Amino acid sequence: MNSSDKQFEQRARALYQEAAQSVDPVTAGRLRAARRTALEAASAHASPHHRARVLVPVGALAAIALAALVIWQRAPQPQPEHNQQASVASEQQDSEYLPPEAEKTDPGLYQNLDFYSWLAANDSSQTKR
Amino acid sequence: MNGVSAVFEAELLAPDGQAVPATLDAFLASMERRAFRMAELHLGNREDALDAVQDAMLRLVKHYRAKPAQEWTPLFWGILRRRIVDLQRRRKVRSIVVGWLGGGRDDDGDELPAWEPADTGPGPLEKLHGEQSYADMAAAVKQLPQRQREAFILRVLEGLDVAETAVAMGCSEGSVKTHLSRAMQHLREHLEEWR
Repeated sequence: MNSSDKQFEQRARALYQEAAQSVDPVTAGRLRAARRTALEAASAHASPHHRARVLVPVGALAAIALAALVIWQRAPQPQPEHNQQASVASEQQDSEYLPPEAEKTDPGLYQNLDFYSWLAANDSSQTKR
Repeated sequence: MNGVSAVFEAELLAPDGQAVPATLDAFLASMERRAFRMAELHLGNREDALDAVQDAMLRLVKHYRAKPAQEWTPLFWGILRRRIVDLQRRRKVRSIVVGWLGGGRDDDGDELPAWEPADTGPGPLEKLHGEQSYADMAAAVKQLPQRQREAFILRVLEGLDVAETAVAMGCSEGSVKTHLSRAMQHLREHLEEWR
């Protein structure tokens, strides 16, 4: 860049700077007001009050949702009727194949266990005939 | 030209890398008038220029206040540049709509010039005195293509370095140099009397 170009740039810049300094008072006032508005808007956006206005409703909604979830999970779950019938039948069927409990059974059963075994074997052979 | 000389002494002979104001308030206070002049050079209208500057201030404070102070300058000029381009596009759309509605032609059917808002602000010529007026320069700068105008204002008038200008313009440093070179060539031709 030669000195002529440099001088040209300096002159242009000087004029620009002076034009910026000599902005009319009304425009300068409006620019100051615009700056204040921008700074106030940003500080209001970041203030604790603004955060509280956002966070309180969000927190309340979250608490309500959590409470509803807990209540829903604790409530007794209604089971379909056919499921209940099926489970009763299944229990009966299981008890037929399980050995009788020793405490509830007549002690005579265990004393004459050979006899009852023979009886059961004979009875089943007769049924087959 | 005493005023111009004073500004020249104060601004142009100051050492490079002047300290950026520490607070956003001080930063914006140091920029607002120059930003207004820059927007005015692009838009040619005081009200639009004020809108663009206010919007740029708001966006800078809202989105970039946490950034280091050294980054504020290119960020601010970049935001202002985009806002100016946006306003220019709106004007273009408005001109097209006016044309569609039949407002773009006069009684003889001849096409009217594109809509431009009236410049209601006091002209720089009224405020400045001197052999080479700001009005002459502003008129020549307004004739530049958009990107050349941006490069000239940011690089020469604002004194941003090439890297900062590239960030503000959203282009490469090579493009900045190309645009600036063409702008300078155009301005030298149109401001020959300055030499």
